[in-house]
Amino acid sequence: MKPTPGVTMLPSDNPLTTPRATNGRAPDVFRPGAWTPMRCWSDDDEVDFAIVGTGAGGGALACKLAEYGFSVVAFDAGPYWRPLEDFVSDEREQSKLYWTDERIVDGDNPLRPGSNNCGKSVGGSTVHFAMVSLRFRPEWFKARTTLGYGADWPLDWREMWTYYREVEETLTISGPVTYPWGPKRPRYPYRPHELNAAALVLAEGAEALGIPWSATPLATLSAPRGLSPPCVYRGMCVIGCSTNAKQSVLLTWLPRALKAGAEIRDLAMVGRIEHDGRGLATGVRYHREGRWRFQRARNVVVAGYAIETPRLLLNSASAKFPDGLANSSGLVGKNLMVQANQAVWGLMEREIRAYKGPPSLALTEHWNYKDDGKDFFGGYAYMSQGPLPVAWSSVLAGQRGLWGQGLLDAMQDYNHQVGLKIVGECMAQERNRVTLADETDRYGLKIPRVTYSYCDNDRRLIAHSLAFMRVALEAAGARDIWDETDDTCHLNGTARMGDDPRTSVVDADCRAWDMRNLWVCDGSVFPTVGGVNPSLTIQAIACRTADRIKTLARRGEL
Amino acid sequence: MTTLVRPRTPEAVGVSTFGEWPAVAGGDGGHRPGLRERRVAEETVRDAAEERAGRTVHLGAGVLALSVLADSALEHYRGSFHNKAMVAPLVSATLSLATNAPATFGARAPLPLLDAVQAAAAATGVAGLGFHAFNIGKRPGGLSWLNLFYAAPVGAPFALALSGFFGRCAVRLAGDSRTLFGWPAGRLLAATAAGGLIGTAAEAGLLHFRGAYHNPAMALPVTIPPVAAGLLAAAALKPAPALRRAARVGLVATAAVGVAGVGFHLFGVSRNMGGFRNLSQNLLNGPPVPAPPSFLGLALIGLAALSLMEANDA
Repeated sequence: MKPTPGVTMLPSDNPLTTPRATNGRAPDVFRPGAWTPMRCWSDDDEVDFAIVGTGAGGGALACKLAEYGFSVVAFDAGPYWRPLEDFVSDEREQSKLYWTDERIVDGDNPLRPGSNNCGKSVGGSTVHFAMVSLRFRPEWFKARTTLGYGADWPLDWREMWTYYREVEETLTISGPVTYPWGPKRPRYPYRPHELNAAALVLAEGAEALGIPWSATPLATLSAPRGLSPPCVYRGMCVIGCSTNAKQSVLLTWLPRALKAGAEIRDLAMVGRIEHDGRGLATGVRYHREGRWRFQRARNVVVAGYAIETPRLLLNSASAKFPDGLANSSGLVGKNLMVQANQAVWGLMEREIRAYKGPPSLALTEHWNYKDDGKDFFGGYAYMSQGPLPVAWSSVLAGQRGLWGQGLLDAMQDYNHQVGLKIVGECMAQERNRVTLADETDRYGLKIPRVTYSYCDNDRRLIAHSLAFMRVALEAAGARDIWDETDDTCHLNGTARMGDDPRTSVVDADCRAWDMRNLWVCDGSVFPTVGGVNPSLTIQAIACRTADRIKTLARRGEL
Repeated sequence: MTTLVRPRTPEAVGVSTFGEWPAVAGGDGGHRPGLRERRVAEETVRDAAEERAGRTVHLGAGVLALSVLADSALEHYRGSFHNKAMVAPLVSATLSLATNAPATFGARAPLPLLDAVQAAAAATGVAGLGFHAFNIGKRPGGLSWLNLFYAAPVGAPFALALSGFFGRCAVRLAGDSRTLFGWPAGRLLAATAAGGLIGTAAEAGLLHFRGAYHNPAMALPVTIPPVAAGLLAAAALKPAPALRRAARVGLVATAAVGVAGVGFHLFGVSRNMGGFRNLSQNLLNGPPVPAPPSFLGLALIGLAALSLMEANDA
C-alpha cells in the first residue's frame, strides 16, 4: 500500500503473521498493549540451550534453566497471544489455538489432531487445556514391576512428588482440601471451585454407587493471584481463557522465564537440528519472518509434543544419523499413546447448563486406584463435562449421527444434557507411531504420518468405563443415555525414557542416549500414560530435568 | 427486684463511649461537696454511663442489623431469592435497623413493639441457621469443606440472631441497667459479645480459608477479634481494671478491623475480572463488602458491656 503523506504506517499486530517477541521486548500478557523487556540473542551467539517448543515441557524448562543462569532461547511455531485482547467467546475464531497443519492419519482408529491433543501457541496446548492437574498414581512409575503391564519409568514417584508440588505451587492449583486417592499430598495452594450442576450429577452418581468423588484440582484460580483475577466461570476454558484466570504456561512459567533473561521467539518453526562431525548438536535451523535462520546452541531441547518431537528428530536425519537423531534404538516415533476419551451422555429433567464454569469440575479416580474387578490393565478417571455449543453439535452430528431436524431437536435439549467422560490409559504399542510422509508442508518440511490402532486391552478398558458410567448416570437420574465411543485425547510416548539405550530414546534426565547435548522434554518421554491428564507430569519432569541439568553442569558433565 | 427508669442526663449525650468518664455536673472550684452531694454526683455519672451504654448496645445491634441487611440482600439476590424465605432476613433486619437506629439517638418506640421486633430478628436468625444447615446437608458430600465453602454460609444468620438478641438487651437496659434476664447486665453482654466475636471470626476464618488467605490481611479478622473476645470474656469473669483496659484496646482494634475490612473487601472486589468497571457483577462475586462491619457492631457492644460493668461496680 502506498503510504499517505503525513500518516505513519504502524506495523501489523496480527500475531498470526507478525512476530511479537522481537527487538528486546515481548507482550506483557497481563496488561493490554503493554510490553515486557526481553533479553535477545543473535543467531551467532552460542546460547546454552535452544528449546524447541514453549508448552508444558519447554516453557517450564526454559524458565527454570534461565533462572539457573543458563542462556536460553525458546522457539515456538505459534503466535504470542495477549489473552485479554486476542481471545473471544467464539469457538470457530478460537480454533486459531490448535495445531491444524497438515498431517496424515491412519491405522484402525485414526486420530483427529486438533482441539484436544495439540496446540500452536506460545505456551503450547496449555493455552487451551482443560486445566485438569492430576498426579500420577505412584505405582504407574513402576507399572511393569508393580502392576504387570507396560514399562517401568526410570523415575521414583517420591522424587516426582516433590516436583509435582513445585508445579502445583507455580500454577496455584485450586483443589480439594483433602484428595481421596493416593498417598498424602500437601494441601493445594488454593481451595476448590464451586461445583456446577454437571459436576453435581457426577457426585450424585458416585454417591449412589458408593465410590469416592472429588472436586477436580484445576489450574484456574479460585482467588486472585498477582494480576490474574479469579475464575468467572464463563466456561470458555478449552477455547482459551480471556480473563487470565487460567494458569497456563503463557501466564506462569514464561513471564518468569523472560524476567530471568530467556528469549522467546514466536512464529519460529524449527525444521532441523544440526550436528557436527562428532555427533553433537550445534544448533537449530528455524523459519521466522519469511526466511530460514540458524541459531547456534551448546544444547538443544526438543519439546514439541508427541507428534512434532519425533517429526523434528526424524526430519533431522543426516549422513551420520540416517534414521534421524537419537534413534539408535529405532524407537523415535514409536509407542505413540493416546488416552481414551469416551463418554456417556444423557438428559436430566432439571436444567444443567453444563457449559458454565470449567468443563471438568468433578471427577473420580476410583478406577485408577482400584485393581479388583477389572478385565484390563491400566486405569481411567472420569470427569464431568461441559461441551460448548459448536463442539456439542459436532458430537451429536458426528458421533450420534443426527442431522437436519433431529440435530435441531437435540440441540434444544442443550441446557439439559449431561455427560461423563474418561481419561483412560491406553497401552504402548510399537505399531502406533509417528513417521514421515513424503508430502511436505509450507516450510518444505516432511509432514508427519500418525498411525494409531487400539489394542484389545484398550477396548476392554473403554467397554468397562462406558458400562460403569452408564450406571452412574442412570443412578443420578439421567434418561436417554447414549455412548460416545470414538474420541481420544492427549498424545504421549514417541521418545520414551528408560534405563537402557536399547529400549529407550532418552534417559531419566530426558537426555538422548545417542547425543549427549540433545534433550527431549515433553509428553514424548512417557513410557506409559496412566489414566490422568498428563500436563502436570510433563511440567514436573521439566522441573526435574532442569534440576538435573544444573547438577550435571556443576559437575562438568553437561 | 425494683425496676427503676433512670432520668436521662443531658451531660452524657455526645460523650465518647470509649471509656472516658463524663465531666461531673455541677460544683464550682471553691466548693467542697458533702457526702450527699458526692453520692448524687456519682449516681448521675453512673446514670450517664449506663444510658450511654444502652445506646451503644442499640448502635452495635443496629450496625449488626445493617450488616446483615446489606449482606443478605446481596447474597440472597445472588441466589435469585429462589426460596421465598430468603426475603425474611431482609424484612427482619430492616425492622431491627429501624428500631435500633432511632434508639441510638434516644428516641424510643413503645417497649413492647421494640421487644417484638428484636425477638423476631432473633427468631429469624435462628431459623436461618436451620435453613442454611439444611442447604449444606442436602448437597452431595454433606458436611464437607466444599459445601461449607459454597453452600449457604452456615454462620451468617447467626449475626441476625445476635442483632435481635442485643436489640432486646438494649431495650431492657432502658428499664434496668444492672440485670438482663436475671443476669448481671454487663457480664451477660460481655459474654455474649465475646461469643458473637468468636462465631463471626470462625465464619471469617472459614471463608478466608476458602480464599486461601491469599492476602496476609485476611489473617486480621481471625486473630484480633478472638483475642479481644478472650479478653472480654476474662474481664466478665474477673473484674480487674487491667483486664478491662486490655479488653477495651482489643475491642477498639476489632472495631477497626470491622471498618478496615470494608476497604479490604472493596480491594478484593477490584481484583475480580473487570474491577470496579464491572461492579454489578463483582460485588456479587468478590468478598462480601457488607460483612466486616459485624465486627464493628460486636465490638461496640463489648465496649458498652465494659462500661456497664465499670458503672455497676462503681
